[in-house]
This record gives sequence, C-alpha cells and structure tokens, in this order.
Amino acid sequence: MNGRAATVAGYLAGFALLFAIWHLAATTIARSALFPPPLPVLERAVVLIEDNILQEQIGASLRRILQGFLIGSAVGIPIGLAIGSFRPVRALLEPWTEFFRFIPAVAMITVAVIWFGIGEESKVFLIAYTTVFVVIISTAAGVGAVGRDKIRAAQCLGATRMQVFRLVALPATVPYILTGMRLAMANSFVTIVAAELVASNDGLGKMLWDARLFMQVEDIFVALVALGLLGFVVDRLFRLAIRAFAGRFNPTM
Amino acid sequence: MALVSLEGVGKTYRGRGGAWEAVRNFTLDLEEGEFFCLLGTSGCGKTTVLNMVAGFEPPTAGRILLDGREVKGPGADRGVVFQGHDSLYDWLTALENIAFGPRLRGMGRAARRAHAERFLELVGLAGQGGKHPAELSGGMKQRIQIARALANDPRILLMDEPFGALDALTRATLQGELSRIWADTGKTVLFITHDIEEACALATRIGVMTRGPGGTLKAVLPVDLPFPRERTSDAFMDVFRRVHALIHEEIVRA
Repeated sequence: MNGRAATVAGYLAGFALLFAIWHLAATTIARSALFPPPLPVLERAVVLIEDNILQEQIGASLRRILQGFLIGSAVGIPIGLAIGSFRPVRALLEPWTEFFRFIPAVAMITVAVIWFGIGEESKVFLIAYTTVFVVIISTAAGVGAVGRDKIRAAQCLGATRMQVFRLVALPATVPYILTGMRLAMANSFVTIVAAELVASNDGLGKMLWDARLFMQVEDIFVALVALGLLGFVVDRLFRLAIRAFAGRFNPTM
Repeated sequence: MALVSLEGVGKTYRGRGGAWEAVRNFTLDLEEGEFFCLLGTSGCGKTTVLNMVAGFEPPTAGRILLDGREVKGPGADRGVVFQGHDSLYDWLTALENIAFGPRLRGMGRAARRAHAERFLELVGLAGQGGKHPAELSGGMKQRIQIARALANDPRILLMDEPFGALDALTRATLQGELSRIWADTGKTVLFITHDIEEACALATRIGVMTRGPGGTLKAVLPVDLPFPRERTSDAFMDVFRRVHALIHEEIVRA
C-alpha cells in the first residue's frame, strides 16, 4: 500500500471510529432525544440535501467566509510585508495590531451589525477583520525570519534593495503567509458561526439558531457535522496548496 | 597596486555592556591571484575582518580599498561563500541559485542557464542542477555556494570557514576541489579558517592572527609548495609546524 492510500484509509477509519463512539454514546449512555445517534442525523441530512436547504446554508456561509478571507488577506499581506521590512512602519503599526488582535471578532459583532446591518456586509467585515491581523502578524514574522546570510548573499551578488525584497524576502516569506492564512481560515469558521447566530437570515449559524428555537435536534447535529466536514476539507485544500507551493523545497511544510 | 588593501583597520562594537574591540590595527595587502588564508583561534576577529572586506560591516578605524577605491558596502565585485548553507535560496533549484547573480544583472533566461551550467560543471555537480538545496548534502551545498559566487565573476572570492561544518573526508575532498578551481579560474581568494592543515593545504600565503579581543595580524608566511599539496611530505610538515608554533603561542598566552 502506498503512503497516500494509507493516509486515506487512516482518515476513513478515524472518521468511522468517531461515528461509532458517537453511536455508542448516544444509544447506551445518553439515551435521550436531545442527543440523537448518527443514523437519524444522516437521514435528516439526506432530507435537507434533497430539499436543497443544506446546500443553501453552506453556500451562504462559505461565500461570506471566502469574500472576507480574501479581502482580509489582500489587506493583511502588504501591511505585514511593510511592518516586517521597515522599522518606522513597524513602530507605527505594531500598536494597532497588538491592540486589535485582543479584540476578538466576536466582540465586534455588535458594532458590525450597527454599522452594516444584518446583511452580507457585516459578515464579510467580521471575517475580514478576523483574518487581517493573523495574516499581518505571520507575514511580518516571516519577513523578520529571513536569514541574514540570504540577504547578504544577494547584496554581494549585486542586488539592489528592491531586488533583495522582490527576489529574496518575498519568496522566503511565502510559507509564513500561507500558514497565517491557514490559521485565519480556521478563525473565520469560528467567526462566521457566531455572526450568523446573532444576526443573519441564512447560513449554518442561522440554521443552528433556528433549530434550537424549534427544538429540531437533528438539524443542530446536521449543521455541526457540516461545519466540521467543511472545515476539514478546506484545511486539507490549504495544506495541499501549501505543499504544492512550498513543500517541494521545504520538506518541513 | 594591491587588489585589496586593509589600512590600519579596526572594529569596535559599542553596546549596552560597553565597548568590545574585535579587531585592532589590521594592515594587509592582498595581491591579484593569490590564495590568502587568514588563520586564528575562535574569537580572534577573523570573521569580522572578512565581513568588513565584504562590506557587511563598516570598520570603525582605518579603511579598506579594492582596486584603490574605498569599500562602502557589499557589492558584486566581492563574492562571498558563507560558513553555513542558509545563504542558498531554498525555493530555487541549484542551477537557479547559481544563475542568481546573472539574473540580477538582467541576463536572459537561456544565456544565464548556459552560464550557470558551466559553473555547475566546474564544481563537479553536472546533472544535479534541477535539485533544490534541501535535496543536496552539506558538501554539495557548499559547492553550489562556490559556483554561485564564481558565476558572478567577482574580483575576489571571500570564504568564511566554508568547510567548517563538513565531515573530515568531505572537507578534504572539497579542499582539493577548491585548489583545482582556484588554479582553473585564477581568482584571488581570501579564506578564513581555524584549521592549520586546511590553511597549509590551500594557501599561497598564511596570515596568523593574535587572539582576541582586539585581534590583529601577527605574522604572514608564504607557502611555496607545489599543488596538489602532499600532506605527508616533510616540506608540508615543516610549514605545518611553523604555523602551529605561531598559533600555539596565542593559545597558551592567556
């Protein structure tokens, strides 16, 4: 068996074990309508998929995550590069990042709703907000971690300051940027659910909230499992992207 | 005129803990085509001397001239081979690393590829150009560093204990290769080491430094032995003993 097949087999066995434990816990320990075993949840999921409801909720959440995540990354990467490259910029902007990163996106939901209402803008803003600081910090750290000899080598090969930045600092920082984005993606999942719980017309968070209101316990579990699987798949895709981009020269990635 | 002149060069670091004099009144002329080994105990300031010639650090006293012009910072006329191999670019192949200097000067893709292939062959790695540094052994990485520096055609090659981290056999092999490359290219070399045998095997002149702090040039010995050097010959042993005596004085002078 080759390595990839072994990994896939391991994942499948891991998930199977997880669902087996869930089944046992629900049928022997809990034995309550409030904790359904996997099978009724699966049946409910099939119904929701057939009615195109689950897809719509996932689509709504995923679209917001993607938009906010891309905006946050697009803003965060250049700021992180500037902070890492120029001492005055660091002195000026580091207080900002050190200040805002302790105000979690969840705490910003209230102002986001006041400013942007309960529509798309408030969610996209919150995801961008939660993304931008993680990306800034890891990008700046990446620039700071570029080996001194790498820069010196370029200088004594005749590189200008701009060439050192473009051809050495930037590519050396890419793995840090991608790692920051991966962390930010995980944060985005936390934030989108919280935001949709509080104020939204659709999305997985809204689905959780409605299911609680109407005591549709299976729906709650469908949303939870969907979140877990979605995050798992997105993170895998990210890891593949990082590996395709950086792994061939950096086997530790 | 000497290729490189160090005129009363000194370096004092000033920090929170006070001043630290690394190098004091260092004077030396390097002639075109010679292989100069600067030898000293650890902490004597030999790497600081190299860093000042490379332009990475400015001297705090005296001045350094290259072709009669004062050194003001790093430049393409001085190629550096670093002790560690962190200076290679992980995201580029071995060949792209070697072609980095020509790329900075705007040489076309095909031309710089052909140019880099020549230097890959010079360091004995023909056919390995497609590998990334992570796939190369420590000795191969140092060969790539040497090729990268030479492909940029510098006036002088500055080498900071380039074989210090290698095992003894690889080190001896690379010393032999470096001698051959030096003979093939006719480059001037300033080579930093604390290894007496290495200095005796490579150098046309050996400079011995006093121990730090405030290390300075203690003595310069010409080494008039033919290449390749026969390390077990009486003549080689004689040079070794003379250099060893000079270094030993510094070790016991505590």
